[in-house]
Amino acid sequence: MHPLVKRALTVALAAGLLSAPAAGALARTPDPSPSQAQSSQDKVTFTIGILSDVDSTNPFTGIVVEAYEAYALMYDYLVTSSPKDVSPQPSLAESYQEAPDKKSWTYKIRSGVTWSDGTPLTARDAAYTFNRIIDGDFEQTNYGNYVANIERAEATDDTTLVLHVKKPTPIMERLAVPILPEHVWKDIDGTKVKSYANEPEDGKPIVGSGPFRLVERRKGQFLRFEANKQYWGGAPAMDEVVMRVFLNADAMAQALLRGEIDFAYDLQSNVFESLKNKPGITTRSSKYPGFNEIAFNNGAALADGTPIGDGHPALKDKQVRLAISYAIDRETLVARVLNGNGAPGDTFIPSMYPALHLDPSVKQTYDPAKANQLLDAAGYAKGSDGIRAKDGKKLALRLFVRDGAESQATGEFVKSWLKDIGIDVTVKVMSEDALTEIIGQGDFDMFEWGWVVEPDPDYQMSTFTCGKRSYKDGDAIYADLSDSFYCNPEYDQLYDQQSGETDPAKRAELAKRMQQLVYDDAAYAITYYYDDMVAYRSDRWTGFVPQPDPDGSILFQYGVHSYLAIKPVSAASPGSGAAADTGSGMSGSLVAAVGGGAVVAVVAVLLVARRRRAAGADERE
Amino acid sequence: MTSSLAWTRRRNTLLRFWGDFRAHHSALAGLAILACFALVAIFASLLADPEGLNVAKATAKSHAPPSADYWLGTDGNGISILTLLIHGTRVSLVVGLAATAIAIVIGTVIGIMAGFYGGWARSLLMGFTDWFLVIPFLPLAIVMASVLGPSLVNIIIVIGVTSWPGTARLVCAQTLTVRSRPYMERAKALGAGSWHQMTRHVLPNVMPLVLAHVVLTVSIAILSETTLSFLGLGDPTRPSWGKILDSAYGTGAMSNGEWWYVLPPGICVVLVVLAFTLVGRALEVVLNPRLKEER
Amino acid sequence: MALLTGTRGYVVRKVTWSLGTLLFVLVFNFFLFRLLPGDPIKMYTRGRNTPSEQLIKLRAELNRPIGTQFLEYLSNPFASTINSTRFNRPVWELVAERVWPTVLLVGTAILIASVAGIWLGIRSGWRRGGTFDRWTTGATNTLYAMPEFWVGMVLIIALPMFPSGNINTPGVSGFPDVFLDTAWHMVLPVTALAIVYLAEYTSIMRASLVDELRQDYLQLARAKGLREDLVRRRHAVPNALLPTMTLIFLNFGFVIGGAITIETVFSWPGLGLLSYEALRGPDIPLLQATFLLFSIGVVVFTLLADLLYAVLDPRVSSQ
Repeated sequence: MHPLVKRALTVALAAGLLSAPAAGALARTPDPSPSQAQSSQDKVTFTIGILSDVDSTNPFTGIVVEAYEAYALMYDYLVTSSPKDVSPQPSLAESYQEAPDKKSWTYKIRSGVTWSDGTPLTARDAAYTFNRIIDGDFEQTNYGNYVANIERAEATDDTTLVLHVKKPTPIMERLAVPILPEHVWKDIDGTKVKSYANEPEDGKPIVGSGPFRLVERRKGQFLRFEANKQYWGGAPAMDEVVMRVFLNADAMAQALLRGEIDFAYDLQSNVFESLKNKPGITTRSSKYPGFNEIAFNNGAALADGTPIGDGHPALKDKQVRLAISYAIDRETLVARVLNGNGAPGDTFIPSMYPALHLDPSVKQTYDPAKANQLLDAAGYAKGSDGIRAKDGKKLALRLFVRDGAESQATGEFVKSWLKDIGIDVTVKVMSEDALTEIIGQGDFDMFEWGWVVEPDPDYQMSTFTCGKRSYKDGDAIYADLSDSFYCNPEYDQLYDQQSGETDPAKRAELAKRMQQLVYDDAAYAITYYYDDMVAYRSDRWTGFVPQPDPDGSILFQYGVHSYLAIKPVSAASPGSGAAADTGSGMSGSLVAAVGGGAVVAVVAVLLVARRRRAAGADERE
Repeated sequence: MTSSLAWTRRRNTLLRFWGDFRAHHSALAGLAILACFALVAIFASLLADPEGLNVAKATAKSHAPPSADYWLGTDGNGISILTLLIHGTRVSLVVGLAATAIAIVIGTVIGIMAGFYGGWARSLLMGFTDWFLVIPFLPLAIVMASVLGPSLVNIIIVIGVTSWPGTARLVCAQTLTVRSRPYMERAKALGAGSWHQMTRHVLPNVMPLVLAHVVLTVSIAILSETTLSFLGLGDPTRPSWGKILDSAYGTGAMSNGEWWYVLPPGICVVLVVLAFTLVGRALEVVLNPRLKEER
Repeated sequence: MALLTGTRGYVVRKVTWSLGTLLFVLVFNFFLFRLLPGDPIKMYTRGRNTPSEQLIKLRAELNRPIGTQFLEYLSNPFASTINSTRFNRPVWELVAERVWPTVLLVGTAILIASVAGIWLGIRSGWRRGGTFDRWTTGATNTLYAMPEFWVGMVLIIALPMFPSGNINTPGVSGFPDVFLDTAWHMVLPVTALAIVYLAEYTSIMRASLVDELRQDYLQLARAKGLREDLVRRRHAVPNALLPTMTLIFLNFGFVIGGAITIETVFSWPGLGLLSYEALRGPDIPLLQATFLLFSIGVVVFTLLADLLYAVLDPRVSSQ
């Protein structure tokens, strides 16, 4: 998925920055409510509260997680990820197969699928979408990596899509590219697409083939999707899905309590706690594919090996990095920093992906004695001030943390644990922007950050390859994906091997070996896997499908499984209208109006009284 | 002989000044408040163990209401709010005073130069000052703080550099009146250089008025520090009153009704700022004869 | 030089000064933001599977010579091609959405605060040293010492029956309902802002009245035996109002400061909240846009204050 997006979201949440763009409601005509006024009484609506507005409904320009969720509702994908264990699963392509010569993949597109405007969806649309990205420029921004190995897409007939590849690659089972209708998008050229909104105009819904279609959108307020009752995967039980944007988590929690929304996504832990044990509401802390780490400067260099930056030389020593890893009490971090909503971390593919995750046999768990022993053995002797040194150079390290409560707290914990083993740590807080810059230049010792790992591990694995270290363009040095500057020829060789391995079992084996290498070399000290915290009206909706089973996310998944499975609890509560609530709100408004009026009146009376008195005085003059 | 005479004169001036100042009861109350906070700032580490600020060492429950162990409850990390307040006093006072010092130095230098040289130098310098007056303070401070990055020194620089224009205008106006006084003519006739005139004659005459202004500037600087810290632009590694309010806001203290998290830091700010204002206003009256007649 | 005298000359001078200031603000704005850290391309493409070659191409567009960029910026500082890194939408589009809520909030607060502040200022200035004056001055000083966002936070805790954020309840529709709902949401933020502005306006009005009362003509009027009330109503107050109104206009920067923090505390979807959102990141293009807009606002209001002064008091322009 979108690793940095989650990063950005996490920090935004931690910083208390919970707002999304909101609209100047007053300048316009009053809004009809998405779920009440425009939907007739008997419509069943599932309303999701989100904190970041969908930045764009054009799949070529959106960035945020919420936008990708919208695309998943609007469009079909060749393949999806199974709810059980996130493994690849056919979707719009009912089956797919690699050619024996490994030079192409053939996808059997479902027949009888139509676009929402009635036009049949064929393999030609799929071929158009892929070729557009392959030939495109701007189109590469969001999907470039999926098509890097695809030479050409070809529709041999209405139900057969052939993708010719440059070399064998397992990513062909994970092509998360929304299939777009050619008859609509062919009129939007490479320049227009940059600013194309892809929003409904004059009540005309956006043409898509997914389980829902976008019928209305108000920036900063809501998106309304209508169910596609003819969906090949089964008709959704609701008539509409609404995503409503909230400015802050408190407001969203209140809306959930009042029943204005059915699902609150991406909660902060304090809000999450406050929603626990409320009638009709279930809180859920689900396994999420994100981890945080203390990253080490393993020896910053450009991709060609030229050293850069000013990292402390001691961190090039694997024993020092290992010692630090052993000095970190991950259980405490989960308990104090995450309030228990997470699990201690070890390897860089989270346990959410059971098929790929390596559970190391020897774990780097909290053991200060072992850490001390490792440092002693590596020749770092404690000085009179309790700080270790070698060859006259003190073991004094910088730790950069991000501008956010969780990151800062982790920094403080690590600082005090490392002090116990004779390492002096200076914690510095900075914005993510500034930190990105510094990491790219290699000007750091350690930093705290995190990643969100996609179902296909290639992207994540590439971050530890030598080739993804920083690069030079002119005189300037720019960051690439590597932020640890880990470089191990053995790892790179395994990486190359897995990138051409299309047998899932063999590839998983390689992925595990790679995780073991990075873990043993302690390129990162992974601190924890954090949970995704949501709350929903369990008195109204049931049948959520966790991904993976049993403790994964129930919405904002890889795929639309829950949307197709959930059902209203009973007919007694149709939709999620908040009609009952408006009464109290209105009486409140009346109080406000009366109160405001009273203030004005008092001032006016006082002024008039003055005037009268003065006038009286005048007359007497 | 002359020096002792000058000394006696100065002592008399000071005594008279103190006598005038003492008449302002509110200002005395302000001084007392300031003394208390200054003592807290100096002895912060004795009053509350600095280890109590360490997130890693905190054992208390987060967001706990006041109790016997934690008189003002705990924050989002389980740290005692009282400890944060005590150590925050230091940051607020240091930033307030240091930023004011920067503002006063810049403002005085530009003001005296503009007033003393007059002509195009004055137009240029005052035009520049006017431009700075126009740029809205908070947005400018926000932008500068983003450029410099968050740290104690940077926040001092930001506040100092954004608050000098008022001082410059005041000093310039005052310099103009001093310049037209007869003894300046005399000094010039006796061959005193510009430097001598500015430092020996203009500065001492401008300083009393600036003094009152200084005290008022400190109060504004402390308010600015609180605001910038609240917006997340303060030094993230040091507790300050604004930062406590920022974390209260960020962790939902208001909707959970945690008054102990929100009230105390604000009350501290109000007390200190009010104290500086009261002292400053009184100084203004004592030092500015024109205002004195008004009373 | 004849051109520069008289009312026309005054207006021309003021407008010229404002234009000069605007230019200064533009230049300052451009270069200041070139100093900010961070790689904007990295921000634009965060979280996407963008190939490195594409990054280099995007970056080349940004790394054109600074002179070219500057000329382009000067020719159209409001070019809507720049996207906010946080919202991934054109900055001026975002700004346009947020203008009206701020105008509504701040306008209402200023209206209430200026009416009440002027009234309080007159009362306390007229009998300065009296009981009312001492209480008012004490209260004003105390209010002045309060950070406005803190006032807002305290109000939220103290008055939980009022909504603590946002501009309206999602789902409320129809003419009177939306109007009432918005008014209901405005209660706390407007109160918080008005309290702080009130302190400012009261002290301005009091000071200008005190200043006015010192004028010779007032002594003369009194000496002529005019009644106190009449002296106040006919002479002192109108004359003192003039500088007060001007100062209220001139203090627009102060108003903006309040809006930023109060909108943040109350999640009020205006320009202040937008600046705060831009600041956490930082979202440089958006920060630049709000900063430019605020600066222009202040320049315009300063010019208006000058012109207003000239219209109300012809002596100014003839001097």
